[in-house]
Amino acid sequence: MTGYIEVKDLVKVYSGSVRAVDDITFEVMEGEIFGFLGPNGAGKTTTISMLTTLLRPTSGSATIGGHDVVKQQQKVRSIIGLVPQELTVDDELSGRENMLLQAKLYHVENKVAKERIDELLDLVKLDDASDRLVKTYSGGMRKRLELAEGLIHSPKVLFLDEPTLGLDVQTRTVMWAHIRELKESSNMTVFMTTHYLEEADSLCDRIGIIDKGRIMALDTPKKLKESLGGDVISVKIDGEMDQTEAIKAVDGVLSVKKEDGSYRVKVMNGETVTAPLLQGISKNGGKVTYVTLERPNMDQVFLEYTGRSLRDAEQAGSYDKMAMARQMRRSS
Amino acid sequence: MFSETVALTGRELKHWYRAKVQILMMLVQPMVWLGLFGQAFPATIPVSTMNGAPDYMSYMSVGQLAIITLFTCMFVGMSLVWDRRFGFLNKLRAAPIPRAAIPLSRVFATVIRAVVAAMLVLAIALLFAHIPGLKGLTIIGHFGITDFLGVILILVLLATAFASIFVAIALTIKQQETLFAVINLVNLPLMFASAALFPISSMPDWLQTVAKVNPLTLAVDGMRQLFFHGSTGIYSLSVDIIGLAAFSAVFITLGIVVAMRSLKEK
Ligand SMILES: Nc1ncnc2c1ncn2[C@@H]1O[C@H](COP(=O)(O)OP(=O)(O)O)[C@@H](O)[C@H]1O
Ligand SMILES: [Mg+2]
Repeated sequence: MTGYIEVKDLVKVYSGSVRAVDDITFEVMEGEIFGFLGPNGAGKTTTISMLTTLLRPTSGSATIGGHDVVKQQQKVRSIIGLVPQELTVDDELSGRENMLLQAKLYHVENKVAKERIDELLDLVKLDDASDRLVKTYSGGMRKRLELAEGLIHSPKVLFLDEPTLGLDVQTRTVMWAHIRELKESSNMTVFMTTHYLEEADSLCDRIGIIDKGRIMALDTPKKLKESLGGDVISVKIDGEMDQTEAIKAVDGVLSVKKEDGSYRVKVMNGETVTAPLLQGISKNGGKVTYVTLERPNMDQVFLEYTGRSLRDAEQAGSYDKMAMARQMRRSS
Repeated sequence: MFSETVALTGRELKHWYRAKVQILMMLVQPMVWLGLFGQAFPATIPVSTMNGAPDYMSYMSVGQLAIITLFTCMFVGMSLVWDRRFGFLNKLRAAPIPRAAIPLSRVFATVIRAVVAAMLVLAIALLFAHIPGLKGLTIIGHFGITDFLGVILILVLLATAFASIFVAIALTIKQQETLFAVINLVNLPLMFASAALFPISSMPDWLQTVAKVNPLTLAVDGMRQLFFHGSTGIYSLSVDIIGLAAFSAVFITLGIVVAMRSLKEK
């Protein structure tokens, strides 16, 4: 099976020196939500800009639905939807007028457009505000309108660049729900970027961890976490008897470590091993008083593959941004 | 191509009529000229140099039609800079539309705005002529529908040329402050090195040479022949119109070429 989006050896060098995207290769399958997780300045927006025909790759190639993003731009543009990082909805138009304009730019037939606009405004819960000027909207409402605009022509692929950047936690959850709903109601392929670990973890079928323009790891969130060596089950057991051997005998247990009265059990998959483990212990006469399951989180995954925590990377990134802003002021 | 251009032109016009303050501001300058300067201007300019206008106020009123056109066109640059800054241009670049629709829609919307503004100024100038104690635009001879259409045609051609120039400038100079400076640098000489406000016969020779090839001069020269029948212009009416048509054809082509290059992915 080949991917719907195919990217091969893609490179973008800005103004001769900044290697923003440094030789990346990956595929996105039809119907999947694929996410790029990385700190500010990792090259996420640059990648999206190349895939959406806004930026010319320095080298390498990319196709969407078999269409080359450099040689068949109009074809690519007509099958993709883009929800950019910054808000681009028009303040001086109402929500509905914004949608109508978008519909015309994407050649959606008038009759179809009317229905589709109602449907989409409903989906993103803007139906009540649809006739108000966008300048009266909150940030979250604008972002939702932006999402609805990206969907007007029922694109094959939707690009979401940091869909919840700058939104409060509640609005972020609402956006996630919208994106999940979309995925369930259509077979759309979604390419999204984020620097929120939870977002990548909970929304994406597969994640590419990107740092300094390179893909450091690429897999399902589950496999990425498993690659760190599985889950840890901690059990506290009453009684003096040593349970180490009994625990080791359970299928799926990798190792056991005894600390005081509790055991740290490393397993491949905590969800499936917990029950047999508890059974094994009680069969052996142990009385379990306390159980916790620890799973590796994305933070640990990020640390493992990039050598730094996402928070540290973020700080380094914002430093880059400041340096760049200073430089831009100087050169103007 | 056509439908996208229409849609984008519609957006521009919505912006315009929703910005009521901007429309009022736009009329301030011609009002100052017509209401104050024109009324008080001493009669030192010989009537014989004024292309058949009966008085300076009538002469200058026609000039104001061209000048409001110039100033309306100037604003197209500002809106483009904003659209770039807020990512709207990128949104258009990602859409499956012909690139040329982007500059063309700006030019069309600006032409409509300019003609509407010029008609408002014309109405005011005509009204002034009927208010006792005020001077205004006094028409000589019969001003028929063909004369009116001639005036509109001239304004449309003039606005097309200017709007295209400013679209090209705004897409080349991306910084707002620099753009402001350049627009001012272009506007004032254009306005004064022309027959819009003063007869060119009163200008030094070198300035006359410049003024004679200024699109503003062609526009006011043509319009004056339509408002003041029996007058002779600097050029004949047909030369004025052909000249303006050539200017607008050249500049709209330039505008599209510059836009295509500037909107292309880097
Ligand atoms: N237009 C540009 N010119 C020069 N450098 C740029 C430009 N845009 C982005 N960069 C640089 O490229 C790198 C990647 O940026 P970007 O793709 O925006 O990252 P992200 O979206 O992951 O935050 C950063 O170092 C950024 O400073
Ligand atoms: Mg970004």
